[in-house]
Amino acid sequence: MTLCTLPGTATMSRTISIDPVTRIEGHARISLQLADSGEVEDAKFHLTQFRGFEKFCEGRPYREMPALTARTCGICPVSHLLASNKACDDLLAVSIPPTAEKLRRIMNLAQLLQSHALSFFHLSSPDLLLGWDSDPAQRNIFGVMAQNPELAKQGIKLRQIGQTIIEMLGGKKIHPTWVVPGGVNEPLDSSKREAMLEMLPNALTIAKDTYALFKTMVPRFKDEAEHFGTMPTMFLSLVSPKGQLEHYDGFLRLKDAEGRIVEDMVPPSDYPRIIGEAVEDFSYMKFPYYKPMGYPNGIYRVGPLARLNNADSCGTPFADVALAEFHMLQEDSGPVRSSFHYHYARLVEIIFAIEMMQRLLKDQGILDTRVRARARGNRNEGIGVAEAPRGTLMHHYRIDDAGLISWVDLIIATGHNNLAMNQSIKQVADAYVDGNKLSEGMLNRVEAMIRCYDPCLSCASHAFGQMPLSIELKDAAGNTLDRLVRDA
Amino acid sequence: MIDAVAGLLDAQGPGHSRQRPGDAQSRGEHRSVAQPSVAQPAVERPSVKAPDGEQVGGEQAGSGYLPESTASNQQQAAAGPQAARPLRALVIGYGSPIRGDDAIGPLVADRLAAQLAADPALGDGVEVQARHILTAEIVDDLVRAERVVFIDAAADLTPGEVRCCRLAPDTATLSTMAHFHDPRELLAWCAALYQRSPQAWLVSAGGADWGYASYSLSSTAQGAVEPMIAEILVLISPSP
Repeated sequence: MTLCTLPGTATMSRTISIDPVTRIEGHARISLQLADSGEVEDAKFHLTQFRGFEKFCEGRPYREMPALTARTCGICPVSHLLASNKACDDLLAVSIPPTAEKLRRIMNLAQLLQSHALSFFHLSSPDLLLGWDSDPAQRNIFGVMAQNPELAKQGIKLRQIGQTIIEMLGGKKIHPTWVVPGGVNEPLDSSKREAMLEMLPNALTIAKDTYALFKTMVPRFKDEAEHFGTMPTMFLSLVSPKGQLEHYDGFLRLKDAEGRIVEDMVPPSDYPRIIGEAVEDFSYMKFPYYKPMGYPNGIYRVGPLARLNNADSCGTPFADVALAEFHMLQEDSGPVRSSFHYHYARLVEIIFAIEMMQRLLKDQGILDTRVRARARGNRNEGIGVAEAPRGTLMHHYRIDDAGLISWVDLIIATGHNNLAMNQSIKQVADAYVDGNKLSEGMLNRVEAMIRCYDPCLSCASHAFGQMPLSIELKDAAGNTLDRLVRDA
Repeated sequence: MIDAVAGLLDAQGPGHSRQRPGDAQSRGEHRSVAQPSVAQPAVERPSVKAPDGEQVGGEQAGSGYLPESTASNQQQAAAGPQAARPLRALVIGYGSPIRGDDAIGPLVADRLAAQLAADPALGDGVEVQARHILTAEIVDDLVRAERVVFIDAAADLTPGEVRCCRLAPDTATLSTMAHFHDPRELLAWCAALYQRSPQAWLVSAGGADWGYASYSLSSTAQGAVEPMIAEILVLISPSP
């Protein structure tokens, strides 16, 4: 990734690059550019933190990469752990034992369960239950607890079940080290399997009840569904060899806004052929795009919305029913285009994750003790791709003959959505910005729209009720007309 | 995670005053224990008022805080036997294992767990957890406990100094991040969702070195480990 500076904000750029607190906090900034007519001409989502993982990993032994890159995030470390280990499997040139793959899948699904539960129940439910125009002082998790305490309890329970399964498999909830290059370092024992299976029926009941509740709420959000990121984009995700919903392996599929398959069954190792990365001077987040269409026309979205749009089916009973209902959200026969429906897609995926974990845990080979293939580095380049809760995650490493990392490229889910998030902000601004004055309601909706994507800006957007955010309104000459700041 | 609770407690607004350990409804009381000598005060069981004014905790609480039979309890039971088990005390040590003295929370928790395992009478009804950070699902554990002791490192204490603070639910500590929650916020979650909150303390020690390390402490912080364990044992000891 190329370092860039923010034009005209040299002081801020310097501060960000040298202040670790600022980097950790991950504040986001949004700027809106007005045309002479007063209409919004451009919108930019600035990620003003710099992490530098791709650079400081250079020179490290490749076996350190899973532990190093997992530190990218405290919410989705499992996703990085899996993608990194898959890249290391590729460096080893091994095929991991089937049981190891199933166990990794279970951990990935448990991660998806806890992360989606966090996004829906704790981060987005204040918007959904209390409304965009409610008092910001009340529009938080305590407001949800007051209005619907059972929903908050259920969110806690789902997240606890996901985290407990991760802990049972990996030894700890945050930054587990159980997944290793070549497989996993310990087989599953029967007592843990039984304990996991005992928890999952309760999880499925909660998931189905919540799904049923949200279905009744969706019609209330007609306006938001029409304005929260409905622009035509493509959708990228992994699918299984049969075209089904896939989170761990499989092949890349890209559909266009009308539902036509643009790329299909692309081996993950071939991603550099179809994905390019652009850099803009206003953000530290890269801008991936579909190479054959160029930048920025090659805009696409990833994550739950894309995965459900791309999947022919889920392959589990309740999730398949929910998938059919998901497709009915779009009036025409094309993919579901509104980013507001990321929330819906998350609930479908929670159901799928629970059903699939049950299936995998009941697999007769799941207790097999052969769970690791051992080898030394046999290739100088390795690629690992998996579906993180927020979308397709790519780890790409090159090593020298001593096994030291010489080059790293990480394409994270939130990065894939960068172009789409910028366009979504523009759309919300077009709909809600009136003249030269910003309103609290507009700020709330921009914030809520960003939250639909559940972006992982290494913390900044994982906010309860209020995320640290500033919005600037500028005229055609670049003069600041108005500014709203919301501190953490 | 490095705690800065003292500063936050001071910022609780007009009318707040520091109270002695054991005073009812205290929000910010703390005592510093000069290392290596450790104060061993008689542990009183102060009461905490839930938002609805119901008196919970203290001797009034009887056998504990868990309701006799509620839908939520049945739901917890359905989730597995461990989820419904009431606890006399829950001890949670938290901090990063790779940032020097920030590891003192989980390290003390590990030491304490080993000590309690060797003395079943002492450890009966006590659960000890070593964690990286405090996350939302801990609420399900907190609400099962009569008493909770959090263990953390502190940046605002003299290195090696041990402090014990009484904690109370506080919605003003609402986190803007989902990665980490203030213990008082999680207590407020308990109060809001279950109308009860365990008696809670934060035992912390001043750190000297926050650089990279592998689950090990500076010698200064190491010296605080035993005083912290002694403090915690007093807090979780069964009532006479």
